[in-house]
Amino acid sequence: MPGLWRKIRKTGRVAEPAPARVPAEVPAAAAELAGSIQIRHVDAGSCNGCEVEIGSVFGPVYDGERYGVRLVASPRHADALLVTGPVTRNMEVALRRTFEAVSEPRLVVALGDCARGCGVFAGAYGVVGAVGDVVPVDVEVAGCPPEPTAIVAALRGLTGR
Amino acid sequence: MSLVGWLFAAALALCALAAIGGLVWPRSWVAGAGTVAAGLAAATAGVASVVGSRWSAWLPDVLPLAGVRLSIDPLAGLFMAVTGGVSVCVAVYGIGYARTPGHRLDSRGVQAAVPLFVGAMVLVPAAASVSTLLLAWELMALTSLLLVLAEHRRRAEVGRAGLWYAVMTHLGFAAILAGLALFAAGAAGESFDQLRAAELPPGLRNAVFVVTLAGFTSKAGIVPLHVWLPRAHPEAPSHVSALMSAAMVNMGCYGIVRVGLDLLGGGPAWWWLVVLAAGALSALYGILQAVVTSDLKRLLAYSTTENMGLVLVGVGAAGFFAASRAPALAGLALTAALLHVVNHAGFKTLLFLAAGSVLRATGARDLDALGGLRARMPHTTVLFAIGALCASALPPGNAFVSEWLLLQSLIRVSPLSGVAGAVTMPLAVAVIALSAGLAVATFVKAFGVGFLARPRGVGAERATESPPSMLAGMGLAAVACLALAVVPALALPAVGSAAAVAFPQTPPGLVSGAVTLALAGVRGVLSPLLIAGSLVVALVAVLGTVRLLAARRARRVARLWDCGAGPMSARMEYTATSFAEPLQRVFDDVLAPETDVDVTPARESAYLVERVAFHARVPDRVERRLYAPLLAAVDGVGRSVRGLANGSVHRYLAYGFYALIGMLVVLAVLR
Ligand code: SF4
Repeated sequence: MPGLWRKIRKTGRVAEPAPARVPAEVPAAAAELAGSIQIRHVDAGSCNGCEVEIGSVFGPVYDGERYGVRLVASPRHADALLVTGPVTRNMEVALRRTFEAVSEPRLVVALGDCARGCGVFAGAYGVVGAVGDVVPVDVEVAGCPPEPTAIVAALRGLTGR
Repeated sequence: MSLVGWLFAAALALCALAAIGGLVWPRSWVAGAGTVAAGLAAATAGVASVVGSRWSAWLPDVLPLAGVRLSIDPLAGLFMAVTGGVSVCVAVYGIGYARTPGHRLDSRGVQAAVPLFVGAMVLVPAAASVSTLLLAWELMALTSLLLVLAEHRRRAEVGRAGLWYAVMTHLGFAAILAGLALFAAGAAGESFDQLRAAELPPGLRNAVFVVTLAGFTSKAGIVPLHVWLPRAHPEAPSHVSALMSAAMVNMGCYGIVRVGLDLLGGGPAWWWLVVLAAGALSALYGILQAVVTSDLKRLLAYSTTENMGLVLVGVGAAGFFAASRAPALAGLALTAALLHVVNHAGFKTLLFLAAGSVLRATGARDLDALGGLRARMPHTTVLFAIGALCASALPPGNAFVSEWLLLQSLIRVSPLSGVAGAVTMPLAVAVIALSAGLAVATFVKAFGVGFLARPRGVGAERATESPPSMLAGMGLAAVACLALAVVPALALPAVGSAAAVAFPQTPPGLVSGAVTLALAGVRGVLSPLLIAGSLVVALVAVLGTVRLLAARRARRVARLWDCGAGPMSARMEYTATSFAEPLQRVFDDVLAPETDVDVTPARESAYLVERVAFHARVPDRVERRLYAPLLAAVDGVGRSVRGLANGSVHRYLAYGFYALIGMLVVLAVLR
């Protein structure tokens, strides 16, 4: 325990300085949420590359929470879904139900090339389609996997902070 | 003969009539009606004697040599009233319960034994001589043993439970017999008046107290003599469990109060510290076992051990305060203990009867196979909920009042009691607090897992509500519990005058007030009625506000969140085992749970697993550590002397002959 405290004291702040926000229009549903957005992440069939990047977005270096976004454990607590991967057959119903479980106003962020258009998995036998084929998508983040900066920028576009 | 005498005689006569009726005409309502009448008579007799009318009688011709000596004072009256009240509820319930298809509880034997058992329990507190007490005690033990064994043909465990019960109860009987015989030998005779007047040397007094204490605590289910209780209670028919758990175990406490405080007139402080320690240990151990078990009736049985432990904490504290010359506190502690006896009888009757209804409807005692009974057995669910609320010692339950009184007496340790009191009493307070907390967890588990959510088994799915007579029996017990909870002043005068038998020098009116209870001499007030009223008002206010607010907002009907996977099933619910798991982890060192994992590898490769079996159980540690080695030793001795009994009649005759010669020689030398 003292070792941990020492480590915390020595390390100090590692978060990178917040880059300037790219001015963009906030979607109507997001504007209603007034700059604080709770996100439920759904892995609809990703290779886990996108998850690693999400992990670093909410880690100490990129520190996504300072922009008003937070990961939560249940769609019942969430304002937005962060969906990764192509939608596989096994996850189609689950994704649709998760979307229905989010209270309105609700947003869907499709993260990564797979979520946008099936990416490298396009045409695979287990894949139903892109996220947009199953639930309405509000924001897309490109990249395979998208860089944390891109994800942060997209999320800041929702919170407007 | 006074009113009490007539009522008492009527109770016994009705018990006998009911037993004969049950033998001759085994319809459940015959014996049931007789037992109800007997119970009413006994309860009225008890109340009458508590109010002030006393009665005693000597019937020299009933039994050879000693005769039968009876006397009913308020202390006896209180226990008689409790027994009578419990019997009424149980007998009403038994009319419907005995007709349970497949249980054969309407057989002649069972129908006759129930009223006899009730009669014996009415007789025990009325006994006023050693021989009468022992006779009634043995009658109580035998009739209850018969009833425990009622279903021995259906389940093999019943026989084993009966064996444990028979052995433990007779060892207890032997201890009481030995202790009281010592006592009577030192006194001028065996009637209680003579025992009271006796001047015994301190060594003998200590021996009498310790030996009878062992006997009485074994009846009260106090650790480490409790082992019969979690076996016999689950295996007995449920109305018998209620009688045993709510009325019979009380007799153990009665015996300790009668012999220790009344006949021996109190004693040195260490006696009572022993009683207090045994009580505290039982309270904790009992509730810890209850919180981890998943058998509903076993849970209730362990809760009995806990509550009897709390009663003994009160009795021990009372004796200790009396020994350290604090009569007001002693009276208060004993009042609390006796009030807890009454309260425990109320809610335990209700809970065991409700458990019986569940068992009848579902065929299951295992909480992990129950659930979903709220929709299928709504009345039983409400009744069990009332019992569970009372048992968890939270306001507005009845146990809350008696535990509050007990705590009040314990936290006011007088400076006179010295170091022993200053150390013991705070510990006792901590034990009571911890056991009350665990009791809440236990009964939340019993009610939540057993009655709410979805059925976990076929039995629970097909459950139907119990017949009206069973509901009526439970309803009576529930009304009594609620009345005691809201207006404890109904029972307090009776309890106070019973406590005054043990401590004649205590000032009267220790706890006064009809609505608000005020303690004499110390600052402490409690108003159960106001607490209950404000809780109800608060509940209504909160529910009303929520309704009102919810009606204003726009609503969207959404599917139940099931993690996006398929429909919810009963397998996803909390089970009793999983609910208790965190507590089991916390008390790991005390409970010593056993788990074992059996992995069966596939035939092709040791790395492929075909089947994994996981077993977890929490054994009774006292039984494992204390009784198992003891039984093994007895078994070993039995085996090693087997050579002596080789079946030859000549040899046996020779043994008898030599034993006789030996005795004669010993006598000749000693005389
Ligand atoms: S976009 Fe790339 S990193 Fe993300 S899930 Fe698809 S393949 Fe993996």
